[in-house]
Amino acid sequence: MSVAAGGEAVSTETPNQVDTKGVVVGLVGIYIAGITAGIIGPYLAFFAGIGAVFATRMGADGVRRVCSYGIGTGVPSIGVLALGMGLVASMFGIAIGWIVGVPMIGPIVGFVIAVVIGWIIGTLANKVIKLNIPVMERCCMEIAGAGVIVLTGLSVMIAGSLDFAVIIEKVVQTGFIAPVFILGALGILHPFNASLGPDETQDRTLRHAYSTGAIAMTISGVCSIAVLDPIAATLSIVVGAFIWYTNFMGFVRLVQRDAGAGYVGTGLLPPGAM
Amino acid sequence: MSDISVVGMLAENWMMIIGIIIGGLCISVGVHFVPVGGAPAAMAQATGIGTGTVQLATGSGLTGLLAAGFMYKALAAGGIGLSEIVLICATGAVGAMIMICVTMLVGNWVYIYGVGTPPASAKVDYDPITGNSQAPYVAPGTVGQGMPTVCFVSGTMGGLLGGLGGSLIYCMLMGVNGDPAISSIFAIGIFVVNAVLPSYNIQGTIEGFHDPKFKRVPKAIVACFVASLLCGIIAVLIPGIGGV
Repeated sequence: MSVAAGGEAVSTETPNQVDTKGVVVGLVGIYIAGITAGIIGPYLAFFAGIGAVFATRMGADGVRRVCSYGIGTGVPSIGVLALGMGLVASMFGIAIGWIVGVPMIGPIVGFVIAVVIGWIIGTLANKVIKLNIPVMERCCMEIAGAGVIVLTGLSVMIAGSLDFAVIIEKVVQTGFIAPVFILGALGILHPFNASLGPDETQDRTLRHAYSTGAIAMTISGVCSIAVLDPIAATLSIVVGAFIWYTNFMGFVRLVQRDAGAGYVGTGLLPPGAM
Repeated sequence: MSDISVVGMLAENWMMIIGIIIGGLCISVGVHFVPVGGAPAAMAQATGIGTGTVQLATGSGLTGLLAAGFMYKALAAGGIGLSEIVLICATGAVGAMIMICVTMLVGNWVYIYGVGTPPASAKVDYDPITGNSQAPYVAPGTVGQGMPTVCFVSGTMGGLLGGLGGSLIYCMLMGVNGDPAISSIFAIGIFVVNAVLPSYNIQGTIEGFHDPKFKRVPKAIVACFVASLLCGIIAVLIPGIGGV
């Protein structure tokens, strides 16, 4: 996460590092929110949102690697695919946790199912449809896993609980699942869609992913005002907005660093604002 | 959940899984019928609607789902049988067809009156339906513009199949969990997976059933069969919160 805007050489994080960070922070965030909700109330629900932000970053890195091969359909398709697979898997995971009476296994089951679905979809795309992209299987696993963590994280943040019945009542039946679905998908697909090109750099794209994930988190926080404690919702909004602001400013600095021909203000913002 | 109850739920709902697979296959074939032009079409440099497969399929699918959901609500009081499912799927199909037709019609207005180009296909010399010559109307340096008759008809058929598939999946899921919210969001998830896989098959653009790329349909059917089977098995294991 330490990306200095000092014109240093482009730092390259390996896929394993990005994935480890996304999965670990994502699941730990969801569990902190889920476990503490039963003890001190839903005030730490924003941790699930932070987990979703890191998972968004992991998904964006998967999209970045697979789409640099040129999939022919535009970047949005794969982001929407991620959340399509993620939706089915995450609800299944949480439902399984509810059926066996151990809600804590939900996110892990969902993640494992998503990785399996992702691998099968990636294999189908490569072997049957013959896209012949070497990283397709792995990237489909990553984006499906990221989709599950984003969806579960934002749902847990809105509902303040890991319980299937509560999530269905507060997130699905209220319709908040729709903004969660599309914001999660946009968070994963937008960073590379906005940054692609010959001068694309990993740190800039991934810094953008933090800010898109934080937008999803902030808006989910607004949704949770209606169904959850107002203090918990405000905490989620404030933390989300803070993450968005710092990372968006960092992103602007990276854009200025990478702008080969320099940059001038357009006059829309005062020169000192950036 | 023990192994026995998983097997039990699958055995109890095998009809639903088959319905979901049929719905998924309808969607995957439907995507091949819709004239998708992508970014070049947005600049009137290729035949088709100027956006991606996923946006079009999702748009028509959601409209179809909305129509189907309304019909389901209207019919639910009398119990849902085969004839009701047929009615619901027909409503969904008409909803999706209306959406895709309006998109193509207004798109054609923009291409004809706004951009000033005649709709023409570059993939065929003569329109298979009207027999009109196409090649003289294709602007040099482009691969067609707008939606000529054959594309329009093809797109309508794509909307029909997409709406039919989406509504069928919705009906099947309602039969499993009885919860409109869970069923519709799941139908969207399965719909999206079945719309994206074929869009890789056509590599983003296609003009309709007269396009040579249409011959790739069997590959998409195989891929979507496996994907729908997988999604169907997972989806029927999720109960409504009123169940279990």
